[in-house]
Amino acid sequence: MKTWALIVDTWREALARCTLLGFMAVSSLFLLILTFALNLDIVDGALAAGTLFGKSFDLPGKSPAIDTVVATGQSVFAGILYVLGVFLAVFATGSQVPNLQRRGTVDLYVTRPIGRTHLLLGRFLGAATLVSANLLFLCGGVFVIISLKTHVWNPRFLAASGLILAVFLSYLGFMYLVGVLTSSTSLSIMLPYALYLFSVPLAAHKRLAAAMDSRLAANVLHALYWVFPKTAEIGRDLTGYVLGKTTLAIVPFATTLAFGVICLAGAVVAFNRKNF
Amino acid sequence: MGAVPATLRENTAVTADVYLNVDAASTVIAVKRLRKEFRHWGRRLLALDGIDLEVRQGEVFGLLGANGAGKTTLVKILLGLARPTSGDVLVRGSSPRRPSARRRIGYLPEGHHYPGYLTGDASLRLFGRLAGVPEKALDTRIPVLLDRVGLGERGRDRVGRYSKGMTQRLGLACALLDEPDLLFLDEPTDGVDPVGRRQIRDILLATRKQGATIFINSHLLSEVERTCDRVAILHQGRVVREGTVRDLTMPTQRFRLRLAEGQAVPAERLEDDGLRVVASDGNLEVEVADLEALNRLVDRLRSDRLLIAEVTPVRTALEDVFIEVVEGDEHGPGSSENGPRTAVHGPGGGR
Repeated sequence: MKTWALIVDTWREALARCTLLGFMAVSSLFLLILTFALNLDIVDGALAAGTLFGKSFDLPGKSPAIDTVVATGQSVFAGILYVLGVFLAVFATGSQVPNLQRRGTVDLYVTRPIGRTHLLLGRFLGAATLVSANLLFLCGGVFVIISLKTHVWNPRFLAASGLILAVFLSYLGFMYLVGVLTSSTSLSIMLPYALYLFSVPLAAHKRLAAAMDSRLAANVLHALYWVFPKTAEIGRDLTGYVLGKTTLAIVPFATTLAFGVICLAGAVVAFNRKNF
Repeated sequence: MGAVPATLRENTAVTADVYLNVDAASTVIAVKRLRKEFRHWGRRLLALDGIDLEVRQGEVFGLLGANGAGKTTLVKILLGLARPTSGDVLVRGSSPRRPSARRRIGYLPEGHHYPGYLTGDASLRLFGRLAGVPEKALDTRIPVLLDRVGLGERGRDRVGRYSKGMTQRLGLACALLDEPDLLFLDEPTDGVDPVGRRQIRDILLATRKQGATIFINSHLLSEVERTCDRVAILHQGRVVREGTVRDLTMPTQRFRLRLAEGQAVPAERLEDDGLRVVASDGNLEVEVADLEALNRLVDRLRSDRLLIAEVTPVRTALEDVFIEVVEGDEHGPGSSENGPRTAVHGPGGGR
């Protein structure tokens, strides 16, 4: 019941602060634009190019042409949603921990007969359900709109939304750590954004390190690559996966999740040790 | 304050245990050699400096102190909100850091901030659920408690629209939600009007009657004097005085005589007799050497055919004791031994 109470509280807070509404509004706008965009002649032309006399034609040893066209479009959208979804989700949940730690509020929560770990993880679970629902709306909406238009149902696109959620949860762990340590909403939002952007060029860490004079600097770069989320690799794998070309590489995904778990564990430890 | 004559003390002083009617073994809060130091940018801030304290079952205990004395820090340690630097703290025999030790403990923090997006009713439900109160019990307790604190009609309003006094009442309802046997109240009447204060005082007394122990942290001395059995005065992180309210507010050598309505107070004549007299509105306050002198004064007034309605010994107000203790500690000979203190309040204190 305590966990349920924390999840409900997280949803109420998101509703009251309009973050949920904002997320939904931006998602709805995106879906609306997509709906109109798919009705353009150029899209109809591209779809027609994959059909012959109204039917999909197959080339020996290859996927049906229409499927390839649709999967290509979906992989582009998966890439967009990978960025947009994570950014919106970070924005929607950035104030959670700072609000919890607000003077006069934290006393009310922490003095209840509930462990601090339970309290923080309950809020984490609340944020996870909140963002899952939003991502389901956004990615599910894109999936349904594209599939209805093209009559091609590519389940890999839906699986990709699960991957976006997993990456977000990793960032949420980092946000919780920043929130617990700083109690600042601004930093809880800005630092994950910065990390997201900073981790992209780290994908080229081998090339960058090779161009460096200092061995120490090169090693630091390699270390940062392994420590931080593998944003670029996961993005690349994600779009490739939707296209059906690759299976997901485990190492970037696992190390990204490990980053989130370690950050969340750090947040829990810091929250437990904190004087309020 | 002058020395109290032995006869007066014998007549009026009551030992703490008889007055409190408590079993000394039933200690609810035990604090030993408690120290709390905060570190802030390399500076060490000493908030609590070797506190020893005991609160017993069923008593209303008041913690007094000026702003920054360390009151809030002590309460936060007792509730597991902050860790002690050294020393022992036991609440009902357990460390307050353990969640299970906080069952049936009510807390009304100072300057609390309920989530503004919740209604009064929803706030109580949220914190009741977090306290592990069953849903059915919440269904019955919430309306009763809201009525009891005078918010029966406002339970469905958002807390963000509440006045300060209403929020304070909500905080009290929340503190009572778990039917606590230990209640911590940090400035409970802060921002509440006189009628509300009276209501809060009545609720506290009723809660006490049910056997709860109440720990009040306040700098409103008159409130503490009316409500508490025993008090401790905290100054610069140390307990500088502790005892029952009656012990601390000992009788003085002054007496208040109220004459019957319409009787003129013969203040000038009494002063001629060498008595120190303050007279106003049919009341006479005199300082006498002993009971013999008081009785001579009564005889004198009676011989003048004055009708005496009441004779009351004047006790030192808690405020006088507090100021004496605090100022004495700052200016007294012992003050230099304490060494310079950087600060006396932690992040949560001194509000």
